Amino acid sequence: MTVLAIIAALLAGVWLLAAIEGWAAHGRFSLIRPLAAALALLGRESIVPRKADRLFFEVAPVLLLVAGLLAVAVIPLAPGLIVVDLATGALFVNAALAYVLVALIMAGWGPDGAYAMIGGWRFLGQFIGYSMLVVMPITAVAMRAESLSTVEIVASQADLWNIAYQPLGFVLFVIAAMALAWLPPFDLPAAEGDLAGGIEAEYAGARLLVLRLARMVIVLALAGAVTTFYLGGWLGPWLPSWAWSGLKTLAVASAMLMLGRHLPRIREARFLELCWKAGVPLALVNIFLVGVIALVVPT
Amino acid sequence: MSGSAAETLFLVFFGAAAVWFGIVVFRTHSMVRSAIALLFAQTAVGAMFLVMQAEFLGVLQIMMMASEMSIMAIFMVMFMMDPGGLGAMEMTHQKRLSLKAGGAGFAFALGVILLGGWGPAAQEVPAAAAQTAALGRELLGRSMFVFESAGLTILTAMIAATMVAIAPQGEKEG
Amino acid sequence: MTFELVIVLAMAAALFGIGIYGALSQTNLVMIMMGVELILAAALLNLVAFWRYLHPETMAGQMFVLIVMTVMAVEMAVGFGIAVARFRARGSVEVEEARELRG
Repeated sequence: MTVLAIIAALLAGVWLLAAIEGWAAHGRFSLIRPLAAALALLGRESIVPRKADRLFFEVAPVLLLVAGLLAVAVIPLAPGLIVVDLATGALFVNAALAYVLVALIMAGWGPDGAYAMIGGWRFLGQFIGYSMLVVMPITAVAMRAESLSTVEIVASQADLWNIAYQPLGFVLFVIAAMALAWLPPFDLPAAEGDLAGGIEAEYAGARLLVLRLARMVIVLALAGAVTTFYLGGWLGPWLPSWAWSGLKTLAVASAMLMLGRHLPRIREARFLELCWKAGVPLALVNIFLVGVIALVVPT
Repeated sequence: MSGSAAETLFLVFFGAAAVWFGIVVFRTHSMVRSAIALLFAQTAVGAMFLVMQAEFLGVLQIMMMASEMSIMAIFMVMFMMDPGGLGAMEMTHQKRLSLKAGGAGFAFALGVILLGGWGPAAQEVPAAAAQTAALGRELLGRSMFVFESAGLTILTAMIAATMVAIAPQGEKEG
Repeated sequence: MTFELVIVLAMAAALFGIGIYGALSQTNLVMIMMGVELILAAALLNLVAFWRYLHPETMAGQMFVLIVMTVMAVEMAVGFGIAVARFRARGSVEVEEARELRG
């Protein structure tokens, strides 16, 4: 029952997000268009390039989807409305999403195409930058909650949401999340106009549909993670708890989809430099501050 | 006991997967496939940790290996003559000796395992949350010195590796 | 009888054997490192199995696993550092070509 409810919420979320992304890209909001586009992709021929590494080519979109779904499994929608409440849930989100990297490298290597391959390896460079900025803000969040369980993390924010408690961590985590989901301005692996779609360049038809669906699931999982870690999850007045977490997740996801659209794309070397010279020290400062507050302020 | 039977079944399954992927690592000609096979061998090992109820360690293993092995993959592509394995190059030496050494290692370990008296198995394991908390107390309590030395070692290794790897002064980046 | 323990240890022994074979038979530095990684994975598996089936209340067992994971990371960092330096100087990381190491 819980699982069915979460799958329904996930599908609705993916559909809305696809519509919102279309709105951001083309300036017209239409609920029909994502469905039509998906149907069209299903109907088209799914070409396999010549001399492809067939195994990687087939597995990559599925692995991407599985990674996203596993991350969704530990995100609570409401008290009790969660697939599995792992004792190490916050770490598990990161572990599942680490396989996004593996899937993109496979998708880049598989089709034996230059653009795709450059896209895949670029994402590895990007990963080295953002990975620390995913883990270290989560550490600070877990310090306040004194637990890695996502349910307990939401419960710990009953008095004050983490966005006010550790704003620095919030900013760093959102940037890292946007890089993880290769959203603009960090969309190097699939850069339009630069790599002609990069990792998506060689995919067509049903396989491309799975790839795009997986990417939306990942965006949704990350928005859910931001909501859980920083925006108090299901906490909120008047509305039922599932509505609050749904609304917050959608708002975060739309912001992530739209915010960076007008910024110039950041080259991966520059991104690495920024992450390691500015991001990692700031994340350490964040951990230090949260530790000091936790020790000084009585609970 | 059905719980124990399921545990044995999962251990055998993931163990066989780890061994099979381990064999694939040295059987395939494509270097990227080799690195990804090693990744899935390590992931299967992490899954075995999860089956053995070491939840934190399992998740940590699964997380760390994804990045480590992907980095391995790009180094393979950088440094191998034929990363795609299209030429089916032979890249082994002293194959017979290695096979014997590997087989001897396996046989010796197996002998010790079968002959050793292990005593009764522990039945009760602390719950995952209690385990993680206890591990934290262990790390920052009794074993703090060891843990901090490990941290310092890895910092030293990072600095040393970067020093060794950067281009010598004055040399143009190719 | 500690049936599960024996199974896990046997799997670890198999991984260990494969790792030894790989580390000895490959001619490329990066492939040798993959063999070493397999050996370390076998060690990890042993440590977790000993913790789970013999001393689940002693957390030092899990701590040891973390230390071995650190060793793996250090091995990667140092190995790749050497590989990059070697490739820059000699244009190859094939160990057969490292003649100057022959005594």
